[in-house]
Amino acid sequence: MPMPSRGRSKSIETANARLAEMLVLPTWVMLIVVFALPIIGAFYLSFRNETLGAFVAAKFIGFDNYVLAFADPRFWESIWVTLILIVLALVVQIPLGIGLAVLLHRNLAGTQIFRTVLIIPMLLTPVAVGLMWRFMFDADLGVINWAFEQININGPNWLGWRWPAIMAVTIVDSWQSIPFVMLITLAGLAGLPKGPPEAASIDGARASQIFFYITLPSLLPVVLVIAMIRIIDCLKMFDLIFILTGKGGPGTATQTLGMLTYNTGFIFFQISRAAALGVLMIALVAPIYVMWRRATEYAR
Amino acid sequence: MKTKTRKQLANALSYLGLLLASFIALFPVYWTVSTSIKQRDDTFVFPPKFFNFVPTMKNYDAIFATRGFWQTCINTVVITLASTLLCVFIATLAAYALARSPRFRGRGSLEVGLVLIRAVPAIVIMVPLFQIISQLGLYDNHLMLIIMYAAVNLPFAVWLMISFVEQIPIALEQSAAVDGANRWQILVHVVLPLILPGMAATTIFVALLAWNEFLIPVMLAGNSAKTLPVFIAGFISTRNLDWGPMAAASALAIIPITILTVVAQRALVSGLSSGAIKG
Repeated sequence: MPMPSRGRSKSIETANARLAEMLVLPTWVMLIVVFALPIIGAFYLSFRNETLGAFVAAKFIGFDNYVLAFADPRFWESIWVTLILIVLALVVQIPLGIGLAVLLHRNLAGTQIFRTVLIIPMLLTPVAVGLMWRFMFDADLGVINWAFEQININGPNWLGWRWPAIMAVTIVDSWQSIPFVMLITLAGLAGLPKGPPEAASIDGARASQIFFYITLPSLLPVVLVIAMIRIIDCLKMFDLIFILTGKGGPGTATQTLGMLTYNTGFIFFQISRAAALGVLMIALVAPIYVMWRRATEYAR
Repeated sequence: MKTKTRKQLANALSYLGLLLASFIALFPVYWTVSTSIKQRDDTFVFPPKFFNFVPTMKNYDAIFATRGFWQTCINTVVITLASTLLCVFIATLAAYALARSPRFRGRGSLEVGLVLIRAVPAIVIMVPLFQIISQLGLYDNHLMLIIMYAAVNLPFAVWLMISFVEQIPIALEQSAAVDGANRWQILVHVVLPLILPGMAATTIFVALLAWNEFLIPVMLAGNSAKTLPVFIAGFISTRNLDWGPMAAASALAIIPITILTVVAQRALVSGLSSGAIKG
């Protein structure tokens, strides 16, 4: 058999490229129809004054929707709420998730059962669990305040006040997201070389020293990626707030930017203003997206 | 001896931590299921009843008798299955191309596009989509929902499938090529059988995401294509204090997932660990 010439291997490569282009065609169609066109549509809408069910024809109004958004205290409040929820999520979920991963990584008898049980929350329907937590947080009948009563603490009216409501959102979000942090950290732990901690142990280092000076620093790339994903998912958080606090209540205490966008467009029917908020949300996501790319590259 | 007691203490504390975490993970599930089989009087008591109640199926009867419930179930199953198959099929094709062809036109922008779409909150595209879909007369349309579901889960499915394709040794495909098989024959006879387990795992995931999807149906579906999460959410406005039937509806959504998690936990864990990092 003759060796394939350079020209032939080149032609094989172009043939492969042709095949690849064909294989990704349906994905392109989906991305363009469901994402690219609507995003262009969002920009277009944001420069008009469309409302749902209006009788007056909409027209081009320039940047008015953006000016209105920046002048609206509810907009700044929603950014504030979004940021608080992100910070609380990171502060609570990353240490607890890493902690659980470390416990599972010790591989004690029964670890597999614990792991199965612990991932259940992240897979459950957010709407259903949101509803049940709402019942559990109930000020009068809720099992959570009952538990507080047993240790002589008067539980707050969780969903009736600003900070308790924010706490409640963080608690339920953490309940669903800590398993995610745990699983990814666990995969990260499994990929670490065994040598350095063993050597340190022989040299007489304590377990806590090994963890803080060897394991944790080498986990850092993984933790960065987890943090980025959690930030992105907190920005996207919708179902939980929709159900748990009734679309951002009490009042506007848990109204995130995403929830404000929804309420503006579909409760108050200001579709163009909602589109402008959506565009601002993309602006908020953009720097996080860049950081995320950096973090994933760093993790490789 | 000292290190031995130390180790035992560490083990005991580990078990304590894991048990506490497991209790917290499972309690809301137990509370949902137990509330769903309580009489109304046992639900509205303080202190709450944990075990000492007489079970009843009344709440489930109420749910089953709710107008539109069975239609909702059929919708949820049909939309979940159809969108999952569509999504996994498209994702497998794309993942094979991305994993095996280092250079083709549009590769870079495709990768960026997939990541970007994972990052942009869906509510952003929902505002214009609602306008477009209403004007096209596709509001509350099953096929439209199936395509939307498949699209939002596509980035995750593609990344997951890439990690599965990369696990297949490329030598198998090369030797088939040397034996004279063309690209399609290689794809169907060599690659497909090897990535079937990966496709199965991806199918489970995407099906879970589709089953749980709320934003798309709450905005783009009315009564005829309503799905289970929207049905559950509907309880909040209509009968605010009827926790029993609400718990029954929630239990119907989460019990299948809990069973699936226990049955398919191995595939779920490996898939989550490899695909979730990027997706």
